Amino acid sequence: MTTTFRRGQHVEVFQKSSDESWEPYMDHFIGLHGIIVDPDTSINDPSALVEVSLEGKGTHRLPQDSLRALE
Amino acid sequence: MTESKTLNKNGQLSAYPPCPVNDAIARLEGEIAGGALSHPRSRRIAEEIRDLVNDVAWGRAGNDHLPAIEELAGKLAADPELDAARQLGKQVKNNLAEHREVFESHVETRNCATGACTRLAPAPCQTACPAGIDVPTYVTLIGMGRHAEAIDIIRKDNPFPWVCGLVCTRPCEFMCVRGRIDTSISIKAMKAYAAERAFSEGTYTNPPQAEPNGRKVCIVGAGPGGITCAYYLALKGYEVTVIEALPTAGGMMLTGIPRYRLPREVIDREVAMMEDLGVQFRFGTFFGKDVTLEELKEKEGFEAFFIAIGAQRCWNLDIPGEKEFANIKAIHFLRDMALGIRRRPGRRVLIVGGGNVAIDAARSCIRLGCESVTIAYRRSRDEMPADVEEVEQAEEEGVHFEFLTIPVAILGENGKITGFHCQHAELVAREGSSRLSPVPIEGSDFIMDCDQVITAIGQRVDDEVFPELKRTRRNTIEVNTVSMDTDIPGVFSAGDAVIGPATVVEAIGGGKRAAEGIDRWFNHIPQPKMPPVPVRRRRLECIEVPAATKMTLKRPEMPHLAPERRKTTFQQVELGLDEHAVHDEARRCLRCDICLRCGKCIEVCRDKMDIDALKLGYFDFDHPVKTDFRKIADRCIGCGACAMNCPNHAMTITDRDGERILSLCGTILNRQPLVHCRECGAIMGPRKYLDFVQKRVQRVGSDIRITRDTCDNCLRKKSAVSGAEITTSPKIEG
Repeated sequence: MTTTFRRGQHVEVFQKSSDESWEPYMDHFIGLHGIIVDPDTSINDPSALVEVSLEGKGTHRLPQDSLRALE
Repeated sequence: MTESKTLNKNGQLSAYPPCPVNDAIARLEGEIAGGALSHPRSRRIAEEIRDLVNDVAWGRAGNDHLPAIEELAGKLAADPELDAARQLGKQVKNNLAEHREVFESHVETRNCATGACTRLAPAPCQTACPAGIDVPTYVTLIGMGRHAEAIDIIRKDNPFPWVCGLVCTRPCEFMCVRGRIDTSISIKAMKAYAAERAFSEGTYTNPPQAEPNGRKVCIVGAGPGGITCAYYLALKGYEVTVIEALPTAGGMMLTGIPRYRLPREVIDREVAMMEDLGVQFRFGTFFGKDVTLEELKEKEGFEAFFIAIGAQRCWNLDIPGEKEFANIKAIHFLRDMALGIRRRPGRRVLIVGGGNVAIDAARSCIRLGCESVTIAYRRSRDEMPADVEEVEQAEEEGVHFEFLTIPVAILGENGKITGFHCQHAELVAREGSSRLSPVPIEGSDFIMDCDQVITAIGQRVDDEVFPELKRTRRNTIEVNTVSMDTDIPGVFSAGDAVIGPATVVEAIGGGKRAAEGIDRWFNHIPQPKMPPVPVRRRRLECIEVPAATKMTLKRPEMPHLAPERRKTTFQQVELGLDEHAVHDEARRCLRCDICLRCGKCIEVCRDKMDIDALKLGYFDFDHPVKTDFRKIADRCIGCGACAMNCPNHAMTITDRDGERILSLCGTILNRQPLVHCRECGAIMGPRKYLDFVQKRVQRVGSDIRITRDTCDNCLRKKSAVSGAEITTSPKIEG
């Protein structure tokens, strides 16, 4: 059980999101690991996009339901 | 394909097979840089082809890329004036025709089968940067004392080095490979140092600008996204005008970040550089009210628009008392302060929220003389989204925190706030959610004493600005996040308006992508299908550092203004690193732009040579193992097998001043004295290596014995002359 994502937390893009912000190129991110760089900074909204640095694929804003914590 | 020695993009000899895509890029870049394409039109076409081939190399291309390359190459091949252009056009066409399936494979699989394109991969820090700055290059330049060059490198990808040096959320440092050994490189602070030095030395300059192309672009919003877009378009020769509702430039950098973190002068100096490029600003002009899209199009001739209006509206608490009593929105409080209204908001202030805006508001209240400042946050400290450093500094300055506190009502009398009704909360699991949520504890109500409430619970995009644009369910502007184009042709958008309240560097990255998208839109060339892969700007030589120094150097502590002083002034809190600290920090960098952590060196040393000296545990992203460069020398024999098999020349072995030196990106892992042939003086290698060879040879057969102080050539000569059997010569002393 998690609360919110935290800065510096290791995560995995484990599934495609049904959120409208999920774009086709993001399908290639599934399975990648990364680090949360900027969580939902203001309102702790589970639907807010979080900023994730993915290993070798840059930094992106992704829907939280596509991510799971690795630790 | 046969393996051959080729020169890669960086001009280095490579043992890898050539890649036609990579070759095309190298050829195009060589011609563009060489000056043979003297006519602006042919140079422009060559640059467009290069950009498209870069898309192919990096797996960003779509189905329309190869036809577009063909068409442009055809145009170049038919150039009426320049023979060099015709030649280049033909070469590109022939290359594409001959290797079409390789190009198609890059597009379809986003992979370079030869590995040639991969070997140009940027370092993790550069990849992580939303603006794509070539971090290892500028860090190395700063370490060499070449600040102006460092700033030139940064400004190729980010027009705000100084601003980002002070307020960036630094994704680069989170991905820094050095952090897997001990602590990440202090990249942000180094950037601020270089920018300050370059400004003070008068060497902070703009890059060369393209000739004006007669096309006009209007940018709405003078924040980081808008100004970044203006900068890159101005460099490409566009006539750019920025419309801004406020009387000054900077957007949220100016009105959302207090001066003690980001002095106004820093923004002013960097914005002034844009004005030098001819970017025009119209302040105090509200888009949609003072001027409309139609007027700008029809009367003033603007062809493309970039909407960077940010997220200026605030959420409400929606609790009793909020409308009746004059509470303040944090973002308005910070904006008014930035614009010169610096009145104390109250004596006992309560701030609701847990993000950086709440912290900024609280710390500003302390500086304005409020007697008590408390932040009420509904979750626990661990869930606070604000920067840990900011929270710590706020506590040092006297800000109090009340965690697990849920607002119930604002209390007041005669229009004045007298208290804040709250409930304690606990974090519980809710059905259908994987997250713990704060839930009020019944009967835990309490009143917090305050005479002012400032709310900092988030911002949203103003939906009254440009309502014609399609919005998302979050009420942000809907765009293709690769090219940043909206549903209206010729209208692009980025920054907070697109992703919601986010970071300065994300807005900068969005503005840069939009500038590329606008340029492609004007020139009718296909938009990429994937986000950009950062461009490596240079391959600099590494700074040589002994392994012991590499391990013992520590990340420098940022000196801060004393807390007592911070309570009374808006003076900058971070005092910056000094020259010595910055140079040492550059020496800690692992230069991941050169060592790609492919692991070939480790495999060869362990599996082929059976030595296993290279314990480089930091190569693994998820499970790094402790690494100590000093221990490598214990087992290393100086054979050089790792260096011979390194695909990117990160591992090198050199014989210098009587020693064999093994280094990884400048880190000297091992140095051993060389043994010379007693007959001819030729280098035979370090003693450990000779012992290793002897041991290996002895395994083959007991009759074979080699000498330890005479080289093979001399032994052969000797045996040829005497016909004698080769025997072991006397053992070398020492």
